[in-house]
Amino acid sequence: MNKSREKLWIILAGAVIGVIASALVLLGNPKNMGFCIACFIRDTAGGLKLHSAGVVQYIRPEIIGIILGSFLLSLTRKEFSPRGGSSPMTRLVLGFFVMIGCLMFLGCPFRMILRLAGGDLNALLGLVGFAAGIVCGIFYLKRGYSLKRTYRLPASEGAAMPAVAVVLLILLLAFPSLLAFSESGPGSMRAALWISLLAGLIVGGLAQYTRLCMVGGIRDAILFREFKLLFGFIAIFASALIMNLVFTAVKPDAAYFSLGFEGQPVAHMDGVWNALGMLLTGFACVLLGGCPLRQLVLAGEGNSDSALTVVGLLLGAAFAHNFGLASSAAGPTDAGKIAVIIGIVVVILIGECNIARNKKKG
Amino acid sequence: MIYIATFFSHYGAMHCKKLCDTAGISARMMPVPRALSSSCGTCVRMEADREDLLPRTEEMEQIALETETGYQILFSNF
Repeated sequence: MNKSREKLWIILAGAVIGVIASALVLLGNPKNMGFCIACFIRDTAGGLKLHSAGVVQYIRPEIIGIILGSFLLSLTRKEFSPRGGSSPMTRLVLGFFVMIGCLMFLGCPFRMILRLAGGDLNALLGLVGFAAGIVCGIFYLKRGYSLKRTYRLPASEGAAMPAVAVVLLILLLAFPSLLAFSESGPGSMRAALWISLLAGLIVGGLAQYTRLCMVGGIRDAILFREFKLLFGFIAIFASALIMNLVFTAVKPDAAYFSLGFEGQPVAHMDGVWNALGMLLTGFACVLLGGCPLRQLVLAGEGNSDSALTVVGLLLGAAFAHNFGLASSAAGPTDAGKIAVIIGIVVVILIGECNIARNKKKG
Repeated sequence: MIYIATFFSHYGAMHCKKLCDTAGISARMMPVPRALSSSCGTCVRMEADREDLLPRTEEMEQIALETETGYQILFSNF
């Protein structure tokens, strides 16, 4: 694939993903949440009864679909590559704090774009914080930050996360009585299972093929003046915006696009903490090498480090709701603010502790 | 000849670029081309007459020769 073809594919993929995300809202997902990796992992943690917040409990088929979409396409393209061993515990901790940052803002970087496309101006503050966090991460990359090399692993290790996704799907289809399902709130708002699963499969496949990454877009633009991945970011925003405007024109009462700060769906108006939450997310994601969507895709490709990062995200979500760290429409909690500050300190420490130094001989 | 080296970390690419600069090899860091890998890290694009002139480091994952049709893998440490 040459460079201009690669760029075209990324833009096309971004446009398709934006359309799918908006369509999922029309079909039942919460507004501005056609996709949100953080929210959907949080809902999945709730569905598995890892936390008891009744309004956010549902094993989201989109998450299962993304992992399996990436897995199936990487197998087809002979890119399934079981690997791992690159500071797995550090990655789990980073994943944990990525989730803490996301649940302060109420969305992952993917949802941040979708919130912007829905007219939610609070997400602008999130974007500013996210970009600042990426700059912090780049500061460490330039100083020689490294989580060390990965190693080839047995196929069974690489297939573990796709297998977990299959088990979750079986639980959802065959043993729903074992799981928790929200009866109100965002967790109760969902497109039909097969539609969500299909949407996840398509997005997972497209993201595997194009390497779409919300963090990578800004990182590469700053580091290399390379804007390919950023175009994917922009294409998602543009297509979701167009779809939201069309849906709003067709169904004005539903207001899929509503410009402003107030009354935005599943959002709060505390700008400082919106920005700080996404700063933590952007910072930790650069040290991980990718956004939550990218971690799911890499886990599907057989990367067990990314699989552990996803486990970190899941743990973070469970902690956030069990200990009152997650924000709500009413705003952030004091415990959540403390957790974000602790998260930023921990990420700085991880950065400092992993600066590689050249071995000097003689 | 144009060679692309991929690495296990961004630091590995930085280190290789420094070694190239010291050895007088024209090199620049850039994102890994999609055709070469599904990973999205940093690679180093080097111009040299022969492969044996290129630096080798522990952090290096692979070296590929850029051809008219794509890439030919010359070395893999994975």
